[in-house]
Amino acid sequence: MSAPTRRGFLALAGTGAAAVGLAGVAPAVAVADVKTAHVPDASGPLVAYLADMAHDEVRLLVGEREVTVHDRDLAARLARAAHSS
Amino acid sequence: MSSHREAPEISKDPVADNTDVYAFRSPDRPDTVTILANFIPLQQADGGPNFYEFGDDVRYEIHVINRSDRRSGVTYQFRFTTEITNPDTFLYNTGPISSIHDHVHWTRPQFYSVRRITHDGHHAHESELLADHLACPPVNVGVRSTPDYASTFTSAAVHSIGSGRKVFAGQRAEAFHVDLGSIFDLGTLRPFQNLHLIPSAAAVGVNGSQALNVHAIALQVPLTDLTRGGHEPVDINAPASVIGVYASASRRRATIRHHGGNDFDSGPFVQVSRLGNPLFNEVIVPMSDKDRWNAVPPSADDEFVKYVAHPELAELLPVLYPSVFPNLAAYTKVRADLIAILLTGIPSGVVKGFQNFTGAKPADLLRLNLAVPPATSPNKFGILGGDLAGYPNGRRITDDIVAIELRAVAGATIPLVDPSFTADAAAALLTDGTVDSNGRLLNTFPYLATPNSGSEVRPGVPAT
Repeated sequence: MSAPTRRGFLALAGTGAAAVGLAGVAPAVAVADVKTAHVPDASGPLVAYLADMAHDEVRLLVGEREVTVHDRDLAARLARAAHSS
Repeated sequence: MSSHREAPEISKDPVADNTDVYAFRSPDRPDTVTILANFIPLQQADGGPNFYEFGDDVRYEIHVINRSDRRSGVTYQFRFTTEITNPDTFLYNTGPISSIHDHVHWTRPQFYSVRRITHDGHHAHESELLADHLACPPVNVGVRSTPDYASTFTSAAVHSIGSGRKVFAGQRAEAFHVDLGSIFDLGTLRPFQNLHLIPSAAAVGVNGSQALNVHAIALQVPLTDLTRGGHEPVDINAPASVIGVYASASRRRATIRHHGGNDFDSGPFVQVSRLGNPLFNEVIVPMSDKDRWNAVPPSADDEFVKYVAHPELAELLPVLYPSVFPNLAAYTKVRADLIAILLTGIPSGVVKGFQNFTGAKPADLLRLNLAVPPATSPNKFGILGGDLAGYPNGRRITDDIVAIELRAVAGATIPLVDPSFTADAAAALLTDGTVDSNGRLLNTFPYLATPNSGSEVRPGVPAT
């Protein structure tokens, strides 16, 4: 499987690239890159999706919150992961 | 069912489908307002073995606008939790259910919480959990499973939650009457179908919602619970006496499904259904915009004004009923009457002694002037019938919404804002030919009738 899977992500189908994983075991990439965005509750499942690749926009769903980050590296990794399996 | 299955997407998600909203000063407790928000349309009373219930994954809300910016002033939020008390049976109940607390025989009880949120502009200002783990009644399965339904379950499921507030959430009988089958057969109004473009013999209307049930969220609160700053509404002319009401249903942004269960929802709630004025999305908004309308708040309704200004139905009526609506056919001006009724409220000076104007910014809201007392002899045509306590001043259960809105769209209300127009004679006569053949309403909260019984009802015939 892809690198994100090793980090606890599962690739999902969608219009863009999306990923879901258990925050407790995974998101070395995601959480590290969005720590300044103040993810409020990382104890439950975390869903990430690449909302707008042209603008490097990644959205993270955590609990009842949605956090938007603009991170070129993260966007690129997710996009590569979605097409690597 | 003024907004049942009214948009392509929500028609596939009945648990979140808001069918009717009512708001009126309670006739038996005039110092309070009752708001009813119905969901899950067209319920067959015999819809077992998995009977209807609220969605645990849906957030249901009743919004009250008391601010000039059309954003919520007060929101009541309802969240449901279903419990399985006997995992080893396929049955909804394993014996007669003796009370709403009989979890020995009732295998799938449902509970809910009520939260009250006040808003300051875009953001929640204060959030208070009013009650938690309130019991819903079971559905009306039948004489053996839910015996003496009315006396056993209804009042027991009315919960007082402090500060003069009452709530109820559960199945009730459908109260809306409409000739559903005929109206959506190219706008056929059975009493006038001999005049239709494709004529047939005139006939009596058929109430398509008869014997069906819905799930109702009913809320009764003091008047001052809804006004801005606890204002006491005594002056009909005061802007602060008017509130706007709508209900909504929301789902989480994402649902992740796993093989073998353990699905989960994630992200913020996103609105998937809303309802203010009856029939707005159903017959005003065109197919291409219906789903979008359901997804945006009333404060974003500017983009839908064009559909009210020149409603498709007003153009169709003269085509479907040739020579019946010549004055309507010739009227090409913006429908200022409908914009007032549906989107801004009626300003002072239009209807003598009345206003429910909330400002020029359009928003589809059910507007209620709280200073108008309940009518002692309600007229089912509301303000069109000279009764200021009826639609479009709020909406009572007994208001004949189909006839009122048909008449309004057909031009009966144009002279209120454009005295140069003479309404066609037919506009004042329009009806779908139905009478209220639904269950008998209660005189007290939650007012909606006892749900039709699964084992007693026959299709098209109410149980009692």
